[in-house]
Amino acid sequence: MHPIALAILLTPLGLLLRLYAILPQGKPTKRGVRLVSEPCKLGMFLGSGGHTTEALTLLSSLDFARYSPRTYIVSCGDTLSAKKAVALESLKASEILAYSVITIPRARRVHQSLLTTPLTSMQSLATCVYHITLSPLITGVHFADVLLLNGPGTCVIVCIAVYINRFLGLHSPKLVYVESFARVRRLSLSGKILRFFVDRFVVQWPELAAADSKAEYRGWLV
Amino acid sequence: MLAFVTVGSTRFDGLVHRALSDNVLDTLRSKGYDHLVVQCGNSDFDTSEFTRAGDTWTRQQKGGVLVEVWRFKPTLQEEYKRADLVISHAGSGTILDVLRLQKPLIVVPNSTLMDDHQQELAVSLDDLGHVKAATVQNLLLVIEGFNRATLVPFPAFDGSRFREILDEEMGYPY
Repeated sequence: MHPIALAILLTPLGLLLRLYAILPQGKPTKRGVRLVSEPCKLGMFLGSGGHTTEALTLLSSLDFARYSPRTYIVSCGDTLSAKKAVALESLKASEILAYSVITIPRARRVHQSLLTTPLTSMQSLATCVYHITLSPLITGVHFADVLLLNGPGTCVIVCIAVYINRFLGLHSPKLVYVESFARVRRLSLSGKILRFFVDRFVVQWPELAAADSKAEYRGWLV
Repeated sequence: MLAFVTVGSTRFDGLVHRALSDNVLDTLRSKGYDHLVVQCGNSDFDTSEFTRAGDTWTRQQKGGVLVEVWRFKPTLQEEYKRADLVISHAGSGTILDVLRLQKPLIVVPNSTLMDDHQQELAVSLDDLGHVKAATVQNLLLVIEGFNRATLVPFPAFDGSRFREILDEEMGYPY
């Protein structure tokens, strides 16, 4: 067989094998031991509306000295989510400014035509890759140790950027997905997709956990 | 006593129309409510019987219920606190806000929304006794039979659960 044909055949196979190798296994991911004094960089995607409210409620329970610094990812134009994040930060009264807010283009706006969705998704992905993959390569400062996701669609794009890091063997944050309190019997679309890719997949109703071996239920979290 | 109806950020013509109907107002009156406030969002309603002052439409019903309708406020937290009964759409944010204030809640899912997961949430919380689930059609009956003493108190926010999950994942000792 011609070497080029062989390469064309084997490349997708190699990519698939690599993807398989980096997918979280059924068993819990290996957890290192961290000193109490060792801080952990936290990333949080704020998906607007109810997603943002739930995300910030989850964050409000954390020790901000431990999870520091924090990076909030908001969609372009979603000033309300950014304001709510700033409000939580001032409520937790951290004396040093230990957080930042970055904005990314929306993967798909409400009512946007499906035809142009790939284009806007690529813009969104490019910005995520800049923050999660490229900028850390240039500056040597990694994006986060753990990234929390709770929907909707654009957080799938954020997850893809993290997977580019994993694919290339670069430092990548652990991914924790928390399904909304509103989802009782059926996962949201982002939950259905991300359950294969995240390290922890947490739901808030026992019915969902019973139907899904990956899902973990510890009662209501918000 | 004050009853507060909220439809959230969109519109829910069915619920607003029903809440403003004479028989619902009569029932509220008979249950001791003399004041009804309706946050109607972008819903359409018959404004002809109301007096408008600024962003609020008011009407004093003959039976005695004072009815007040307005579209939006930046936060509804104060309205929930003032209310003796909340009748709301089934948005999870609204439900959590109202239940955390331990206010009696009747939830009416908006069946015109495409995704009916709101319906599941309302029914599940009803099964647990935290809310009463209703429909636009049976709202009158539900209000008639409503007894706040039979509701199960909603648990307070417990931040330790998520903190433990994350601390565990990141390898912090307990």
